[in-house]
Amino acid sequence: MAVALSIARAGEESPGTTRARLRRWLPIGIGLLMAAAMVVVAAAAPLIAPLSPSAQFSDSVLKGPGVVERHLLGTDEFGRDILSRIIWGARVSLEVGLASVIFGFVLGVPLGILAGVRGGRVETLIMRCADMLMAFPTLLLALIIVTALGGSLLNEILAIGVALTPNFLRLARSLALTIREQDYILAARALGSGQLRVMARHVFPNALYALVVVGTLYIATAIRTEAGLSFLGLGIPPPTPSWGNILSEGRQYIKCCPWITTFSGLAIMVAVLAFNLVGDALRDLLDPRLKGE
Amino acid sequence: MFQYVLRRLLVAVPMLLGAMSIVFLAMRILPGDPCVAMMGDQASTAALADCTKNLGLHRPLAVQYVDYLWRSVQFDFGKSFRQGYPVSEYIARMFPHTFVLVVASAVVAALVGIPIGIVSALKRRNPLVDYPLRIIALLGLSMPVFWLGILLLIAFSLHLNLFPLIGGGDLDGVLAMIRSGEVFSQPRDFLAGVVDVLHHLTLPALALGFTLAATVSRLSRSAMLEVISQDYIRTARAKGQRERLVVYKHALRNMMVPLLTIIGIFIAIALTGTVLTETVFTRPGLGKMLVDAIGARDYPLAQGAITVFTMIIIFVNLVVDMLYAVVDPRITYR
Repeated sequence: MAVALSIARAGEESPGTTRARLRRWLPIGIGLLMAAAMVVVAAAAPLIAPLSPSAQFSDSVLKGPGVVERHLLGTDEFGRDILSRIIWGARVSLEVGLASVIFGFVLGVPLGILAGVRGGRVETLIMRCADMLMAFPTLLLALIIVTALGGSLLNEILAIGVALTPNFLRLARSLALTIREQDYILAARALGSGQLRVMARHVFPNALYALVVVGTLYIATAIRTEAGLSFLGLGIPPPTPSWGNILSEGRQYIKCCPWITTFSGLAIMVAVLAFNLVGDALRDLLDPRLKGE
Repeated sequence: MFQYVLRRLLVAVPMLLGAMSIVFLAMRILPGDPCVAMMGDQASTAALADCTKNLGLHRPLAVQYVDYLWRSVQFDFGKSFRQGYPVSEYIARMFPHTFVLVVASAVVAALVGIPIGIVSALKRRNPLVDYPLRIIALLGLSMPVFWLGILLLIAFSLHLNLFPLIGGGDLDGVLAMIRSGEVFSQPRDFLAGVVDVLHHLTLPALALGFTLAATVSRLSRSAMLEVISQDYIRTARAKGQRERLVVYKHALRNMMVPLLTIIGIFIAIALTGTVLTETVFTRPGLGKMLVDAIGARDYPLAQGAITVFTMIIIFVNLVVDMLYAVVDPRITYR
């Protein structure tokens, strides 16, 4: 062990070397490239999808990848093109991923900052409500909400957004607790700034970068949760393609046609991996204190 | 310590009540009438009214709410709309299946995740070791449990025919043998039952365990990094202690507190994971029961399952908080 460690230490690199820089920026580059590719695919779905996602080809039911020339990744039980459905499904995943994180951010951050800056009863009230929501894991809470409201794009965004809110709230509060003790806050107060101005002009901008970093990681959580809900049949109802419901429908055919579940699951994994990579690398780069978040 | 425990318990009670209120309200605004779901669209108005009365849904919401809370604290979640028998009995029957899945996946996650996390932290400056381990962790974190489950089913059940495709084995039979003492009179049957349960458990535990191992490895990596940056580790090294001794005697022992937090987080994630895992493997358990109950609009069953899930998570967090003081005497509670 000692020998191994000394070898490892001998291989240490200073932060300025090309290798160190490459080590720092490579994951972020790969993650950003993957995430950007996903955004492009989702945005340009009508242009790049070879076929309509709902078009049924009765002569090509449950055909494997490449068996019929026009279906590169095969077809499902209705003869629909899997590649086209996956490309269109990227839209749902990305829309839910981004919109629910924005929803959780918009709802949770102001409340968290308010709790952190005001303290006292306001803080207790807000934090107890957050604790109540935190008693439910993200998927379980989203599942309860989406069950109550019904499966649709908007309801999924709402459900996952609400489930993510306490996470943003707690982080914003802990950041606000640190920031409110800084000298510039004292200076702002001394210059006559009101509480709202202090929160909006000083606390929020200083907490923003950490919140954005963690927000990137929550996009991955939201995409995974959306896929989970759709897989359970509680997400966007078919025939609108989402990666989760393509996978769920393909479950019945895993014996004869494993490509349906394999490719849709792969799409979920790549998307989640992309945002995890970006979020992880950004966090390590910008704020190592957030490693535990 | 006693005061801390008491205070922590007092905080847990309103939290639980709040969580239960959320569950109740969510279940009551569900789209669709449960009686229509049970009896079909063709049911007469009189039959529907009778059904509503029998289920107690005709009472004011506030009355139903108080009744639900009062019964829930006594573990009485009413009767299942569909099956007609008490929900608590159903939960008691399903709980062991979920429990063994959580325990088995915990074993897999701990065996895979903790060593990966520790080695990755200790060899963090060696990219040949650290990078592959971190990539494995990241893949595990990004891989949905239901997809991994399906891949395992395709490979090991459908193609290699090594494991069953569905079911959870005769766990009820095994438990009955333990209760009746047949475990001693018929040890062969008992052993066969246990093997059958393990046979059914292997793939679900691997799927859930591997995805959880990713979280465990990341958490134990940062815990280890925290510990080895402490002064006492530097002192131990300065004294000339061998690296192996520094790691085993000083670092690993002091990782106990962060590891407890990992276990707390782990149980919450594992319980959620069971919802998807049990659905993929068509395994009996609380998670599958919840999904089925939601599909059938069986309020009491869904309410009961979610309440039990929430209770377990709050209870585990409470126990973990209390264990901190036992494991690390430096932590004092006021």
